[in-house]
Amino acid sequence: MVGFIILAVLSFASAVGVVVARTPVHSALSLIGNVVTLAVFYLLLNAEFMAAAQVIVYAGAIMVLFLFVVTLLTAGKEERERPESLAGQRALSGVLAVAAGVLLAGIAVRDSAGPLVTRFSAGYGSLSAMGRVLWGPDFDYLAVVALMLLTAALAVLVLNRRAEDPRPAAAKEDAS
Amino acid sequence: MILLSVVITVVKVIILIGILMTGFAYTMLLERRLLGFFQLRLGPNRVGPMGLLQPLADAIKMMTKEDLLPSAADPLVFRLAPVAALFAALAVDAVIPFGAPIHLFGLTISLDIANPGIGLLYVFAFSSLGVYGLVLAGWSSQNKYSLLGGVRSSAQLISYELAMGLSVLGILITVGSANLETIVQFQAHHWWFVFTQVIPFLVFFTTAIAETNRIPFDLPEAESELVAGYHTEYSGIRFAMFYMAEYINMITASGMAVTLFFGGWSGWSFLPPIIWFLLKVGAFLFVFIWIRATLPRFRYDRLMNFGWKVLVPLAFVYVLATAALASGAI
Repeated sequence: MVGFIILAVLSFASAVGVVVARTPVHSALSLIGNVVTLAVFYLLLNAEFMAAAQVIVYAGAIMVLFLFVVTLLTAGKEERERPESLAGQRALSGVLAVAAGVLLAGIAVRDSAGPLVTRFSAGYGSLSAMGRVLWGPDFDYLAVVALMLLTAALAVLVLNRRAEDPRPAAAKEDAS
Repeated sequence: MILLSVVITVVKVIILIGILMTGFAYTMLLERRLLGFFQLRLGPNRVGPMGLLQPLADAIKMMTKEDLLPSAADPLVFRLAPVAALFAALAVDAVIPFGAPIHLFGLTISLDIANPGIGLLYVFAFSSLGVYGLVLAGWSSQNKYSLLGGVRSSAQLISYELAMGLSVLGILITVGSANLETIVQFQAHHWWFVFTQVIPFLVFFTTAIAETNRIPFDLPEAESELVAGYHTEYSGIRFAMFYMAEYINMITASGMAVTLFFGGWSGWSFLPPIIWFLLKVGAFLFVFIWIRATLPRFRYDRLMNFGWKVLVPLAFVYVLATAALASGAI
């Protein structure tokens, strides 16, 4: 319980840090912290594969790309406030955040009597257990998701190529 | 009993960090001496017998140097970056089995800090965090060379991590477990994976050199174009921390190559397992240094092409073949 509270505080603080930080890199760092605390939450729930995947995919790949872009774009620039393009988004996001918090707290209070999840066996979050589910009964979903990701990757390649071809039209005709 | 296991773990952590720090110091000395021999000179041999006290002298020098902070730098991130690099380098070693379990005072002690079922994924998770040290150092220094080094490192590490992950999938398929201890046991009882997974081993070792930012893949700190890359602005102990991270990463990469492809601590019985492990790691460190002394640096576009168009397809085709073989399709 003590561990949970420490983690919860860390997780909450890093989440707030993402929004509050003035420098984009600090925001990204807070987000990495948040991602890592989430991974530790998964570990506490015995979902070790989820924890590892969380760190590898989010902290190890996605956030590195975020940082890559942010460092390139913000290097040597002074911090400054940009005019907001979407009017009232701060107020709206605040309201939504409070609403989500109230909803979560309500669920927590309603179900505080007993454990929510009882039917999972020990070791349900291990690598082999996850594999058995993903490649067994849920394989159709996995295949669909894989197909979607492949389509997206191909689309990125195709769209980028068409937009960024620097050669003039004459050179293209020569090449073909 | 819980207290005892906690004490054992803490002692193991302290011993491991001690070994790694000593290993770092003497790998560096070994590299300087060997580079000397490769270049027909002697290398540092003045401090102590055969230069063996050189690391100590270097450590004292580094610790007493002034710790500079560039005026335009972001102080928090600037100080965080070397710590992040060193932390990621040290954390990976927690799951590498250094030897067969030993029996001491009626207790069975395994020679790794932790032995999670997802050992292999743990290694990838923490080694992928190492890139933050480099990127953050490059960005926070507010120096164009540093920034270029940091940006290069993030692009390079992401590309090569993919090939690295693919190269070990064949082992995962064959053994059926991501537990490093199980992988070593499998090799001790069957065969070393270097014999059946030649191409994945080559891909793994190439990407390991790239992940540790060693020549010929040391683009993030290419001194001929970027001064010193991401650590240009660092001095004193923080500079030393980047070096520690690099050399400990080298030891880790050697340890992983040995664990995954060369049977870990398994070997003939006339030497204890831990000695076999250390011998094999030492051999890999020598190869690392040998490659550094031999090969010139890649050009950046070639590095990227090599990673995406050669290493990834190679590893991928081999994984498919291994999977087909394991499932009995061919």
